[in-house]
Amino acid sequence: MGKQSIGEFEEVILLTVAVLYENAYGISIKQDIEERLQRKVSVGAMRTALSRLEKKGFLESEFGEATAIRGGKRKRFYKVTPYGKKALESVMETRKKLWEAIPNVAFDFKFA
Amino acid sequence: MSKQAPILPPKLPLRFLRWFCSPELLEDVEGDINELFGQRAQQNQNKAKRLFYWDVLLLFRPGIVRSLNIFKGQNNNVMFKNYFKIAMRNALRYKGYTALNLLGLIVGIVSSMLVLLWVSDEQNVDKFHAQGDAIYQVLRNMKQSNGQVSTGTSIPKPLGDLVAAEYSEVTEVTQLSWLMNMSLERANETMEEGGRFASPSFLSMFSFKLLDGNKETALSEPNNILISRAVAEKLFGSNWQSEALGEVIKVDGQFEQQITGVFEDVGNDSTIDFDWLIPAQAYFTANKWVEDWGNGAFETYLLIPDQTKIQAVSNRILMEIKDHTKGNPNAGDEELMLQQFTNRYLYSKFENGAVAGGRIDYVRIMAVVAVFMLLVACINFMNLTTARSSRRSKEIGLRKVMGAPKKSIRIQFFFEAMMLSAVAMALSVAIVMLILPLFNVLVDKTLTLDFLSMNTWYFMLGLTFVVGFLSGSYPAILLPTFSVVQSIKGGVRKQSSFAVYFRKGLVVFQFAISTLLIIGTAVVYKQIDYVLNKDLGMNKDNLLAVSIEGDLAGRLDTYKSELLRLPQVTAVSGASGNPLNYGRSTSSANWEGKSPADGYEINILLTDEDFIETSGMQIVQGRDFDSQLQDSTNFLINEVAAELMGFDDPIGKKLSFWGIDGQIAGVVKNFHMRDLYQPIAPLIITCIDPSMSSVVLVRTDENATDALAAVQGVTKELNPAEDFEYVYIDQEYAESYSNERTMRTLANIFALVSIFISSLGLLGLASYSAEQRSKEIGVRKVHGASIGQVLVLLSKDYSKLILMAFILAVPIGYYFTSDWLAKFEFRTHLDPLVFIIACGIVFGVGILTVVSKSYQAASINPVKSLKEE
Repeated sequence: MGKQSIGEFEEVILLTVAVLYENAYGISIKQDIEERLQRKVSVGAMRTALSRLEKKGFLESEFGEATAIRGGKRKRFYKVTPYGKKALESVMETRKKLWEAIPNVAFDFKFA
Repeated sequence: MSKQAPILPPKLPLRFLRWFCSPELLEDVEGDINELFGQRAQQNQNKAKRLFYWDVLLLFRPGIVRSLNIFKGQNNNVMFKNYFKIAMRNALRYKGYTALNLLGLIVGIVSSMLVLLWVSDEQNVDKFHAQGDAIYQVLRNMKQSNGQVSTGTSIPKPLGDLVAAEYSEVTEVTQLSWLMNMSLERANETMEEGGRFASPSFLSMFSFKLLDGNKETALSEPNNILISRAVAEKLFGSNWQSEALGEVIKVDGQFEQQITGVFEDVGNDSTIDFDWLIPAQAYFTANKWVEDWGNGAFETYLLIPDQTKIQAVSNRILMEIKDHTKGNPNAGDEELMLQQFTNRYLYSKFENGAVAGGRIDYVRIMAVVAVFMLLVACINFMNLTTARSSRRSKEIGLRKVMGAPKKSIRIQFFFEAMMLSAVAMALSVAIVMLILPLFNVLVDKTLTLDFLSMNTWYFMLGLTFVVGFLSGSYPAILLPTFSVVQSIKGGVRKQSSFAVYFRKGLVVFQFAISTLLIIGTAVVYKQIDYVLNKDLGMNKDNLLAVSIEGDLAGRLDTYKSELLRLPQVTAVSGASGNPLNYGRSTSSANWEGKSPADGYEINILLTDEDFIETSGMQIVQGRDFDSQLQDSTNFLINEVAAELMGFDDPIGKKLSFWGIDGQIAGVVKNFHMRDLYQPIAPLIITCIDPSMSSVVLVRTDENATDALAAVQGVTKELNPAEDFEYVYIDQEYAESYSNERTMRTLANIFALVSIFISSLGLLGLASYSAEQRSKEIGVRKVHGASIGQVLVLLSKDYSKLILMAFILAVPIGYYFTSDWLAKFEFRTHLDPLVFIIACGIVFGVGILTVVSKSYQAASINPVKSLKEE
């Protein structure tokens, strides 16, 4: 992992942005997480996580078209940056390393 | 569904969101929650609205809320930040000066805060009554034939009844007895407590807090009694709340009184003090003399709610006593007047029937002292800042070059002064809190800094502002006037002559105040000393006054002979009171040649044959009482009485009072029955009925503690039921001047503080001028000047200033101190030595400060100061 650490919720958001690819904006991210992972996400929590991730350089964003359904406000679409991808990979990497290091017997609960 | 008008999200949360949300996020965030609302609204509008509120609320979090940018975009604030920074740097760079400055301010603020706390506490006495402003006390002015008017509070009872019945402007009348000591007894618990008899309206007129019982009915039956919480706790323990009410206690060993109420202990903020209350009716029924217009009885208070009617009531009540005592040969010439109850604590001194001050004199003096202390501290600040201003001249010059107008430089120095004063204030508050307990002991009060009260905060903020403004004003006006070129070129060597004179003027003023305070202290000290050591006409040392309680009254002779058998006791006598604090008078005295039209109040002291010997008084004419002779109708009078009666040779002249005819046997040298503010009153001493004594005076030998123990032993033996109650006459006497002694201590402290602050200022100025003139000193020394010569050179200027301060302070000091002394009937003379000593002290301290600072400069090797460039 680099200097910038990444939290669990941030990781979920980052991954979801990647999943949604070109349709990743506020509400779609929120709903995707809610459907796929069955967990409640408040607009506030998501919004702070998004802007934090953008500040760290894991995400970048640009405005899309304004639509009537949003009261004439434009959507802000997010995209994972290469740096973000690296961060995600490094998280996965560390996890993998840790998994591999676990001796077989540790999870053998027959004897427990 | 699509045909319906689009449902809009609630406006209020949206507006809130737009207010707090950081601008770069707003559009996106608002769009998101709008979209979300639209989706939810299709299912349930109300729920959607609720959730919308909730979403907005959850959005209110760091990261989304925009950063506080009060400081952004306003140039002023940038400047203030800069002023703050520069002020801090300056303060830290010249730590010594900052400390000097702060110390002066802190000492000034602390002492003035303490004094002002005391002043406000004095002003709060008797102010807790809800109707206080509408309560008026009736006072009587009795004209004596010698032209003096004595003002008293005991008012004939029929007057109160008359006012209650006939004066429509007066809605309530309360009669209240003087403080009486009586024993309260329940089961095996007995105690002696002071209390008062009061009319039923007492509780509704005054706002004493009732903890238990009914305000309306508690004083309605003669067999009722109310007791204080302290008494209740002593009688009933901690369960008094459930036990006290309705219980019967025995008062004065004979009356059964039923407890109908318990009131909160009366605090120091009330001039009416009492630990029990019994309905006045009980006293009136037992003492028929109160029904006579000729007899002064209780204090009488009137409730006059309509302020416009006061004058009418005063006019109408003026002659009531005189009108109702027409035809009574003993009636005096007297008038009645009203005093607002809330004024009675501070304005308690009367001369010729009008208010002539009282404690208010002290309050005013102290308030002035507090203001002076602050002024001295502020002047210090001004002086130090302006003297140091050349240090800042480059900075000021540069600011001006960069385009700073005078106004902004002025603001800068005000800002700096405010900052320092705020810091000083914060430290002062901490120090005040630390030393308040000590101060309380000193002034015998329970002062506190009440942070819950807004007034405290207003006061502290106000003081910070005033001090900041005062001390910053002169630097702020002076410094911006420096010329740019000069200040950048190399400091302002020569300050304008006005600035120099002004600073000198301030020093003069400072030292004048210090001198004044020291003169004041010295005079107060001398007078108090005079009072405490004055020959009072009797020997007050080692004289014990034991109160006669219970069984002792009937066994006075036994008690006396028992006491006399003690080796430590040299003489014993009964008396009707402490001879140094005595007031029991009659207007019924008659003597040979007295014109019937003349009315005189003459004091009567009841004693026995041994009184003169025991008290150590002197007989100047005639003889003392003699136990061998039948002296019950022979009287002694004092010199004042002899003069009043106009006898050349009073011995053997006929004298009568209280219907007893007798003659004068001797004249006793004047002694002080009252405090030294008052002239000595005429007095008759009689040994007609020793059993009427209320104290036994016991003269003991030098070994006071031993003697006291022995006297206590005898007293306890004869009177086991009662506590041994005694006072030392000299201690009691000293006690009666506790105000003056407090003043003396305070004046001492403040004189010290003010000279301390002034010297601090002088120290700063002297070291500054020594620094400024370091080259000059160097050159002088190279040319052969000695250290002493340099010292004289440096301190000459300041000695002139201090001498000028004396010229200012001495006449003012003389005026005020002689004015204060004039209040005493007996006083020390104003010694010029006092002024000389005061000036000497100030001069000594001042010059010592300057010299010690200059010495450093003068003793430095001239090479050092000259090499520096």
